[in-house]
Amino acid sequence: MATGGVNLSKEFFELLKAIGESKSKQEEDRIIAKEVVRLKQKLETPQSGGMGSPAATNQLLTSKKRAKEFLVRLLYVEMLGHDGSFGYIKAVEMAASSSLFHKRTGYLVCSACLSPEHEFRFMLVNQMQRDLQSSNVLEICGGVLAATALITEDMVPAVSGEVMKLIAHDSDTVRKKVIIALHRFHQLAPETVTREDLVEKLRKVLCDRDPSVMGSSLNVIEALAAEDATVFKDLIPSLVSILKQIGEHRLPSDYDYHRVPAPWIQMKIVRILGIVGKADAAASSGMYEILMDCMTKADVGVNAGYAVVYECVKTIATIYPNPKLLDAAGEAISRFIRSRSHNLKYLGVTGLAMIVEGNPQYAAQHQLVVMDCLEDPDETLQRKTLDLLYRMTNPVNVEFITERILEFLRGSTDLFLKNVLTKRVCSVAERYAPNNAWYIRTITQLFEVSGDMVKQEVAQNLMTLIAEGTGDSEEADMLLRQNAVELYVGLLRDKPGTATKLPRILLETIAWVLGEYGYLSAVCTLDDVLKELCALASVKARLPNSTRKFMLSAVFKLVSQAGTCPPHAATVIDEYTRSKDTDLQQRCLEFQTLLTTAPQILSQVFPVDASAEDLAVDPNLSFLNGYVQQAIANGARPYEKPEDDDDDDDFMDESATNKGSGFKMTPYEKPQTPAAAMAAMRGMGGATPSMPGVSLPPGAGYGASTAPVQANTGAPGAVQLNTRNVANVWGKPQAAAAAPAPPPPAATSNAFASPGASSFGASSTGTNPYLAAAGMSSAPAPPPEPPKTAEQLEKERKAAALFGGMIPGAAPPPPAPASAMSAAAARAAASGATPVAAPAPPPPPAPAPAVEIDLLDMSAWDTPAPAPPPAAAGIDIFAAAPLPAAAPAAPPQVETVSDDEEEAPAGGLAAPAAPAPVPPPNPIDNLDPFAAEGLLGDVQDAPLASLSMGTQKFEFNGVPLGPLEITTAQFGQQWGSCPAVAPLEVQSSKVTTLNAFMDVCSNVGAYKVESIVSTNEGICAGMIGGTHVVLIHGKVSPGGMGAKLNVTVKSTDPSVTGPLAMYMQTLLR
Amino acid sequence: MISFLLMVNKQGQTRLSSYYEWLPMEERVALESEIIRKCLSRSELQCSFLEYRGYKVIYRRYASLFFIVGTKPDLGQPENNENELGMLEFIHALVETMDRWAGSICELDIMYQLEQVHFLLDEMVQNGYITETSKGNILKPLDLMEREAQKADSMYR
Repeated sequence: MATGGVNLSKEFFELLKAIGESKSKQEEDRIIAKEVVRLKQKLETPQSGGMGSPAATNQLLTSKKRAKEFLVRLLYVEMLGHDGSFGYIKAVEMAASSSLFHKRTGYLVCSACLSPEHEFRFMLVNQMQRDLQSSNVLEICGGVLAATALITEDMVPAVSGEVMKLIAHDSDTVRKKVIIALHRFHQLAPETVTREDLVEKLRKVLCDRDPSVMGSSLNVIEALAAEDATVFKDLIPSLVSILKQIGEHRLPSDYDYHRVPAPWIQMKIVRILGIVGKADAAASSGMYEILMDCMTKADVGVNAGYAVVYECVKTIATIYPNPKLLDAAGEAISRFIRSRSHNLKYLGVTGLAMIVEGNPQYAAQHQLVVMDCLEDPDETLQRKTLDLLYRMTNPVNVEFITERILEFLRGSTDLFLKNVLTKRVCSVAERYAPNNAWYIRTITQLFEVSGDMVKQEVAQNLMTLIAEGTGDSEEADMLLRQNAVELYVGLLRDKPGTATKLPRILLETIAWVLGEYGYLSAVCTLDDVLKELCALASVKARLPNSTRKFMLSAVFKLVSQAGTCPPHAATVIDEYTRSKDTDLQQRCLEFQTLLTTAPQILSQVFPVDASAEDLAVDPNLSFLNGYVQQAIANGARPYEKPEDDDDDDDFMDESATNKGSGFKMTPYEKPQTPAAAMAAMRGMGGATPSMPGVSLPPGAGYGASTAPVQANTGAPGAVQLNTRNVANVWGKPQAAAAAPAPPPPAATSNAFASPGASSFGASSTGTNPYLAAAGMSSAPAPPPEPPKTAEQLEKERKAAALFGGMIPGAAPPPPAPASAMSAAAARAAASGATPVAAPAPPPPPAPAPAVEIDLLDMSAWDTPAPAPPPAAAGIDIFAAAPLPAAAPAAPPQVETVSDDEEEAPAGGLAAPAAPAPVPPPNPIDNLDPFAAEGLLGDVQDAPLASLSMGTQKFEFNGVPLGPLEITTAQFGQQWGSCPAVAPLEVQSSKVTTLNAFMDVCSNVGAYKVESIVSTNEGICAGMIGGTHVVLIHGKVSPGGMGAKLNVTVKSTDPSVTGPLAMYMQTLLR
Repeated sequence: MISFLLMVNKQGQTRLSSYYEWLPMEERVALESEIIRKCLSRSELQCSFLEYRGYKVIYRRYASLFFIVGTKPDLGQPENNENELGMLEFIHALVETMDRWAGSICELDIMYQLEQVHFLLDEMVQNGYITETSKGNILKPLDLMEREAQKADSMYR
């Protein structure tokens, strides 16, 4: 029995006693600190021995014992959080001891204490090598274990050879450790112990005569299969057979645990089956039977058995679905979820979350239990339930679920969790928002709760939405803005004095919205709004400068709207004229100058509600010509371009393609905006207009900033700067020539010209057309009770809200959030899951989802024959938006689509799940995106067919994909920097050659960069709106009836890839 | 995979810690004290799993001693596929094995034979993977070591 530990020295015994009895961490720390002193002394004064011969042998023995004890004490010191580095060297020495216990103790202390960078690890290599070659099994085991724990990347080659040999060792104890050690080496140095080596070894080891060795190898198989399962597919029969034998109790009974045979080995095998069978019908079919069998046999009423059952449920949810197995899994889940044991309930909820995505019907029967779990005091269970809810979100229950998640977020302090939940709220809100007002409210709440974790794009999208509205009607948009204003004013008023503590992202959004639309507020006057903002902007408030700039811009706008500058605003502006931030200072000084010298032009500098207006910029600064001429006439020296020196490299980086014609530096290539710059430009603070060729760097242009008005008035041949729906953060269009210009269009630059600033009056109309519209939209079919009211009712009602749209038999949920939310929906295209392409209303300037744009485009596109430069194309489209009847058939189609809105696919989950605007391809008429939906009605096929023969350029929100002529090398550079990817695999009978594929790409609008015939691969590049680079890579593998096409679509704009991939899919199929 | 295995008593004092992924000492100390606080705040009725800083934590209490296992996704994998209930039972298997090894094991036994408990654990978990669950196979090498040690001792007597 275990006696190796007894026979302690009195000192050690006292130490353990003291530690055991200590009542607090502080006391424990004191004890350990004393111990450290004692151990250090011991190290310095070596044991004095040699008093007499009998005593000497005894001394030898005890000193060895004491040396080991010293190490264990050191282990305690380290375990309890104190530095024991003074004694590490003893551990290294001890690893060389001939006594096994001592050797293992030495290794143990080394593994526990030596950091991976510690040089002592190298000192152990020799010893490990010796142990690995030992004839003593136990020494070999010690060596293998030490190698697993202590080897670093550099040391792998020194021992891997020895360990490799040991895989054939006679002892099973050694073999089972060796396979894990080899895997460890592979993790550290994949080039020394390659995957192939390991796979080859695994195949042998899996069939080892010893069950432990086999069981140990399963760990490695699982890890490798998770990276790439293909090489393990042929192991399925072996795994199935092993599992079967275990189920039949063929293993020695020592492997049984609570009457379940080798439960952990079973779990591992089942998990591996799940990995190799994932999305593979053929592989999966081979395991259906054994899974069923395994699940039945394991269900013996003990936890170990349940664990196996749970593993089976997970695998069943992963592999190619089988109805019988799914039913069995559903049955198991419902037993778990109804269990009294919280552990089993947990498994039930988690299992349900896994299975529910594809099979919502299994959740229906557990409504009440799920509601219980949601309110359970057990936080873990709540979390898992939220996870479940997230996965079963649909347009009907989205409000309820979002509210729940937000509530949970408020109470949570775990950053990791908060991050996950924040992302989820964003994704759910974008995908399923029932209307824009809700979207704004929800995102605002999210900002409040976890503002620091929200991506900047979300705020950008929100502001764009407010600025643009939906395009349905001006009244609705105004009401939306007004709602947003009231929301934000309310928010500021609720938190007097503490509003500056709101997250930065929220403050900036508030500042922008109030600055732009503060006048819409019905509850408070412009002056009140101004006061609130001034309070926020005050120097005393501790805010980052970027936020202050937002605040001050808002103050400027409001002051110019009010026409007078109230004292509090004047004070704030004055304060900032002394700011340390030069940008802030300059803005304030400029504003002050404007205010005092030319107040009449303020309204031009800060026009009302014009953030979505196009604005004109004269890149040549020709309005200055007169001034320059005069100066030259007066004897001034003409401007000479300075030599390009190295000093301004930084500046140049930023403005490589910027800075109008005067400063164009030739070394830079075409004015295509590099992807990295794009990303930077997307932020709102340092905004730059997205204008190809001419754009201003964030901080640049200040030299000209004193002449904003001229820029506006005297710009004869001005290039049309199209900022489209840009949320203009810094001042107004005209000023943009000077001030850092408005940010580029949001991720989805909608082809949308904002209705001008004309109809403010509309917002005061008594009726609420917007809400009416929203209400309409969600009620084509009698919906279950609206979630909003359901919250207030009791649990059943809650459950109904939650499970709306999930229960097959229950009231059919409204098919889709309709047009009211199309703007938000279009934004959601980023996630590739636009809820039913909500057709936009007839009026042209709509953030139309890509579908109609296809049609719009085809008509508008046929006229200008050669592809115009992207920017011009964008502008053209807007101009041509009302459809100047180029192709006669197109306009009626648009009408048809919008009229037949109700025909959108019904069925709660099906509708929103349809991922992209392009409807599922129809095998017969595969070029007609609408035929499948039956939306065409009686519209004849002819025009469409003819269209399909011609150009089929892809359009994104009205902006066509234009060719981007780059080289393969440039393509390669861009490829890595494109964040958004959409892979696509198509089995095509039509496009079977590389050339055909390249032609399709070219038809879509991309430039054929290169076709590599030898590998049947091709690459194409395109650009949308002069800003978003689109890259396409395709590989054609002929075979079978047609060819398999593997296409990867990449773009700098995540919202482009999904729709384009879908569009290409329909063309390719 | 298992990232760490702890034995901590209900005063929050660590009795054994074994990390299968390197963490600097300050982090270990912080992690141990936070996790035990979380475990202590949970009632017997609540489930034995919790999530902490991305770890899936499974714990089980025996008298005053908590056995805590922290799991993480396999290297390079996004999802943590650990079977929580399976891990919970593994903890029990560990305790049963310790029981068979030293009679009925208690906190003090672990303290007095810290290094040996580590050796036992090494037989069951290697590189964060469960390698052995058959009690006979786990204890065999320990017995052999014991015998060799006694042999060596007796040589000097």
